[in-house]
Amino acid sequence: MREEFRARMLRIHFGESDKWKGKPLHEAIVVKCQELGIAGAIVYRGIEGYGTSTRIRHSSHWKFSPDAPIMLSIIDKEEQIARLLPHLEEMVDEGLIAMSDVEAIRFSRSEEVQPKA
Amino acid sequence: MLNAGKAVKVSIYLSEGSTHHGAPTYSSILDFLFYRGVSGATVLKGVAGFGADHRMHTSSTVDISDRLPIKIEFIETRERVEELLGKLEDLAGTGMIETHETTVVKPARQSKAKNLPLPAHQKIEGRARMMRIYIGESDRWRDKPLYRALVEAMRANDVAGVTVYKGILGYGAHRRIHKDKPLHLSRDSSIMLSAVDTEEKLREFLPIVEQMVEEGLVVLSDVEIIKYAHRPIEVDLADSSNSGSLTK
Repeated sequence: MREEFRARMLRIHFGESDKWKGKPLHEAIVVKCQELGIAGAIVYRGIEGYGTSTRIRHSSHWKFSPDAPIMLSIIDKEEQIARLLPHLEEMVDEGLIAMSDVEAIRFSRSEEVQPKA
Repeated sequence: MLNAGKAVKVSIYLSEGSTHHGAPTYSSILDFLFYRGVSGATVLKGVAGFGADHRMHTSSTVDISDRLPIKIEFIETRERVEELLGKLEDLAGTGMIETHETTVVKPARQSKAKNLPLPAHQKIEGRARMMRIYIGESDRWRDKPLYRALVEAMRANDVAGVTVYKGILGYGAHRRIHKDKPLHLSRDSSIMLSAVDTEEKLREFLPIVEQMVEEGLVVLSDVEIIKYAHRPIEVDLADSSNSGSLTK
């Protein structure tokens, strides 16, 4: 099945060590997105970068580095993104949120498949 | 340099064991052709055969296996061949030389010719499109991971470039959380492929994505290309040479 629609993409940049109520911020945001029924969210860990706090963040296989740059990308329709934004403003106190318009095409199997555990 | 058109193919039949001034005859002939600037020559070794003395030489008979048939082939213009034949007759000794009228359909080229025009690479500038494809790491297409198949498909379809990203946490269509756990063997992280090219190129590629991606999300957005630079590609034309042209 193919479904085409206009959507918005949010990209939130912060650090891996950032916390929200004791939980890693990126996990907290993903959970919040699920609560609000946002279509999808993905967390990426960068290998190097710097951000608002101008700290250089590294992540390497050889060194344990708990503060790699994190980029969270969320895509959904405009109304849904609008519902999420106030929560993000509350949760992300140091970081950057970028928004862009995108065209989305969703492919799905026609029959409903039980999600794998 | 041999050009397309009429030419002469020369075949020289020898025995593997025959020598010329202590060196194997075929290598003496090959050296002669090489230093006389022949555009190419190939030495072939037969698995069995017999010649003027009517003795069967096969690779299965251990004692005479050094007498297997050898054939040297090269293609040149008629003038060049006539120039070379005298010396070749001398070199071939007891062997046979045959010539054959032939047509060069496509001449072989030097693999690293410097003055050869590079194949035009489409330059992208200014406004372009970015295509992001969201799939799962465990998704497969035929016998390989879907993300790898997509990269290969894009390469084959001349999409300018693609990068595969792996998410450390995420969820998608089925609300199942993909989490990348270290030391966990069965991984199903979120995968994102990001490709940048012109609108037409990406639209052209979409049906292929549709056919390969059973489940997933494709997102298109406008981007502006600031810089797109690449090193000149080294073309190996010798690899594509065929149809009777000889390469050594």
